[in-house]
Amino acid sequence: MSTPCRLPARVLSNQRAGADTYWLEIDAPPIAQAAVPGQFVMIGFGLGRLDAPFLPRPFSVGWRGDDGRIGLLVRRFGTGTHRLAALRPGDEVLLLGPLGRGFRWEQDSPLICIAGGVGLAPFLFMAPEAIRHGATVEILYGERTGDRVFDPQLVEKLTGIQPRLYTEDGSRGQIGRVIDGIERGRRIQLFGCGPTPMLRALERLAREEDLPLQVSVEEHMGCGIGTCQGCVVRSVAGEWIKSCTEGPVFRREELSWRD
Amino acid sequence: MAGLSQRLWGVEFQSPVLLASGTCGYGAEYDGLIPLDDLGGIVTKAVSLEPRPGNLPHRVAETPGGMINAIGLQNVGLKRFRDEKLPWLDEHLTKAHVLVNVVGHTVEEFSTVVAGLDDATGFLGYEINVSCPNVKGGTLFGTDAKALSELVRRVRQTTARPVIVKLTPNVPDIAVYARVCEDAGADGLSTINTFPGMLIDVEARRPVIGNVSGGVSGPAILPMGIYLTWRAAQAVEIPVIGIGGIRTAFDALQYVLAGASLVQIGTALFVDPNAAVDVQRGMAAHLESQGVAHLSDLVGAVELPNHA
Repeated sequence: MSTPCRLPARVLSNQRAGADTYWLEIDAPPIAQAAVPGQFVMIGFGLGRLDAPFLPRPFSVGWRGDDGRIGLLVRRFGTGTHRLAALRPGDEVLLLGPLGRGFRWEQDSPLICIAGGVGLAPFLFMAPEAIRHGATVEILYGERTGDRVFDPQLVEKLTGIQPRLYTEDGSRGQIGRVIDGIERGRRIQLFGCGPTPMLRALERLAREEDLPLQVSVEEHMGCGIGTCQGCVVRSVAGEWIKSCTEGPVFRREELSWRD
Repeated sequence: MAGLSQRLWGVEFQSPVLLASGTCGYGAEYDGLIPLDDLGGIVTKAVSLEPRPGNLPHRVAETPGGMINAIGLQNVGLKRFRDEKLPWLDEHLTKAHVLVNVVGHTVEEFSTVVAGLDDATGFLGYEINVSCPNVKGGTLFGTDAKALSELVRRVRQTTARPVIVKLTPNVPDIAVYARVCEDAGADGLSTINTFPGMLIDVEARRPVIGNVSGGVSGPAILPMGIYLTWRAAQAVEIPVIGIGGIRTAFDALQYVLAGASLVQIGTALFVDPNAAVDVQRGMAAHLESQGVAHLSDLVGAVELPNHA
């Protein structure tokens, strides 16, 4: 893990990619060069203003361009994300990253990426990287409602593959939960990012099928670098471990999955 | 930045700006990210005798102009701190000073931690934490003058190193507790720790913080911190370290004018890791622009109106 970099950076574009859903591209060459899939950045606005978000927020590095751009998938649901959704080209943000431990994979079996909602983000970065190295990658992407679906054409443009889409209301893609799309009895590597109930269901499936699984977790975060100890999750040994530095990606065996 | 240096407790602080306990881990977390050794110093995460697991998540959340936290003093404990964390500080910080924040359930525990660290190298002294709002009994010593006096006396007897007591704002008159510490032999005070607070998720009808309540920090508490630092500094002769909501050089200078010899920066670091470096640079620029030769000329130099 390289030393993270504090980087004032300019927004290059911010496009609406679904209801309350935005694709934000930022000019951040040092972060783009150093990042690996599954790592994240803290994005904030510095100390000049006190309105929300005052604290920076963690976002998966959603993609990187050869020209030093990084992409973040932003969903608007509170005052903090509202301000991120409203960013315009030329606006300045303060980034810290890349942070945390990313996904690791083998090339010898298909990578099945299970994405719930904005949990799609790390796979937009991981899929093209893994494919470039010769891996077979599928993205199974679920949303509760069709209007919030992140533009599948944009997914294809960024990753080179089409996601298999699931919505709970059945208004787009197949009706049902993303987890129902996992084919059993096949040697695959599972990767998950999304709401906790989805990750729990995924862990159960991986355990039953004896499949390797890595998940990217999300917890309220303060610093992003391990100092505040705010973002903890429970380890299999019963200890609170920091999702920012020990994660955000964990192998399923590393975490406690009890309620 | 020669004008910023302060001589306290027999040593020179190259800058009055320290990083506050709980916001800079054990120092190594900031390695390569900010020039730690250019600061006045750092105050470590609290160290208890045994490792502590900490509280249930969520442990942090944003509040208007700040944040609330209830980490619960999760720490590696005395042995691992001494064996694994202190050597890094000893090796990497040659100019910046280290204060070890110490916490305990009993006078005995405080004293045992201090005794267990005292012959190690890599730190200057102790910040005695009697003011954590997030653990049962965390403010016990900080809100009971008799218990506080006994604790400070005992720690004083255990070490010849500087003993600084970090006070809680959650008392009717902080001056009383400041004097208790001075009378019991403390070498300095840190004012203030966080304010107890609570946030509720309206839709879920549940507290946001796993511990239900937490400590509020950040710019929202700046004026309370300045006032309580002024009250404490008025009450004692020993040096006071001002803490609470500092994010700019002018925030820090307000603490200095109120009577603080040093300041600590905490929550602002989460917003911008450069906060402490920027604050000390801004303080130096202010001294120069005002023709003030030395920061100590400003300590406690607030001029009160005649009617006050």
